[in-house]
Amino acid sequence: MDDKAGYSARILIIDDEESILDGCRQALEKSGYTVMTTSDGPDGIRLSRSEKLDLAFVDLKMPSCSGMDIIEVLSKEMPGIVLIVITGYASIVSAVEAMKKGAYDYLPKPFSPDQIRAVTKRALEHRFLKIESDRLREEKERMERSFITFVSHEMRSPLVTIMQYFETLKVISENSLEQNAKDIIDRCEKRLQGLHDLVEHWLDLARIEDGSFSEAKMPIVLTKILDRSIEELTPLCQRREITLEASINEPSAKIMGDQESLVRVFTNIIGNATKYTPPGGKITITMTQDDYYVYVTIADTGSGIPADKLPFIFEPFFRVKGKDERQKGSGLGLTFVKKIMDAHNGKIEVTSQEGVGTRFILRFTRLYEL
Amino acid sequence: MDAKKKVLLIDDDKDFLLATKLILEKGGYEVFLAEDGKAGVDMAKSLSPDIAIIDMMMETWSEGFNVVSKLRTSDTGKKIPLIMLSAVDLQGPYQSFEPPDELPTVDLVLHKPIKAVELLKFVGQLLR
Repeated sequence: MDDKAGYSARILIIDDEESILDGCRQALEKSGYTVMTTSDGPDGIRLSRSEKLDLAFVDLKMPSCSGMDIIEVLSKEMPGIVLIVITGYASIVSAVEAMKKGAYDYLPKPFSPDQIRAVTKRALEHRFLKIESDRLREEKERMERSFITFVSHEMRSPLVTIMQYFETLKVISENSLEQNAKDIIDRCEKRLQGLHDLVEHWLDLARIEDGSFSEAKMPIVLTKILDRSIEELTPLCQRREITLEASINEPSAKIMGDQESLVRVFTNIIGNATKYTPPGGKITITMTQDDYYVYVTIADTGSGIPADKLPFIFEPFFRVKGKDERQKGSGLGLTFVKKIMDAHNGKIEVTSQEGVGTRFILRFTRLYEL
Repeated sequence: MDAKKKVLLIDDDKDFLLATKLILEKGGYEVFLAEDGKAGVDMAKSLSPDIAIIDMMMETWSEGFNVVSKLRTSDTGKKIPLIMLSAVDLQGPYQSFEPPDELPTVDLVLHKPIKAVELLKFVGQLLR
């Protein structure tokens, strides 16, 4: 039912007085509504469940059951139905109580046909507005969700194809290109890789924020994660002539975590360290623990981060200016790291001294398995 | 001289097809292109390629799996190696990717973009 045109709103009246039921039915059917009536409370609840109602009038004072209870059940079970109480004794107190329990309005007895029609009209307007706003909200949420999917496919596809073209260009041109043309291809590829990383990181964050990031947390041996991360980054360190060293004194310590995202956490931090560490430098990874926590420290001998920049490094798109503009990252790597650490109830701290190096300390809660 | 081995490439991105075709031709293969799943399945029947490379996301995000299923139940597709291409990292975290209950088997999954040396290396290995 998208609007009132051509739709006959469905109304139920629950009242023990037959004369009231008849009066209401006549008044409302005259206005084109579909009207159902019952003098029995439980029967009213049954009808509400089966009849796809828009609106229900409930008499508060009936001998067989309490109208207040009906209001309570209906507002909990079928929050879409607009509820109006009919109060025989025009008591503001009971009307207020009913409205607290979820009624939208009240109609004091005795009332005229015009009065019930006016109350009905207003309640239905409220109902249709609510339906419309619910629909819009759902539509907005659906669009937000599909936007991520859209971006993931529509942005990635052309990017991947352009990268593939550059790869092809290198293969088919081989030695026919001059060195400066080769350099340009090389630069293009680096910038494309940066854009590719940006899209991937952005998607990671979007998924964490919209909740579709489903963590597969389970007991894991942290050393295995570190080994995988180190293995992944070793070729890069070798190319940049940086020594990558690990010293792990307790190889069996376990934590609860999501393996894949933790590998990304470590590769992000180590990858960052390679960007700011000069050839001949060193990245040291140590793992220690006490009774409660496991600590992973990743220290480099790089250029360091100025003290005034340190508080901002986990902010999206914040970058510490490096010497080489081409080593720029996506600006989202550390934001991602922080979010994943938060999701693991972990803690990440960073200390740095310009010209000496930077040290990241990650703390995880130890897992003791009985 | 041996006849060139035939590679069938199935992807709905024309540019990606062209880029990959040129790499494979440089590697000495005869390359055939199909721009959607149906054309790919038909061409596999009529051409009897030695290997097929299939993109996972085409008209739908899992069209590649449909193509692989159809190929695997056909006479040609049963025998030849199949490579699945994907722009998403299926092993990575937080992919909303939900694979069908029964995944048809491919011989290899490669991620786009593919390094030319790797593509030629893997295709060569699978055809050996």
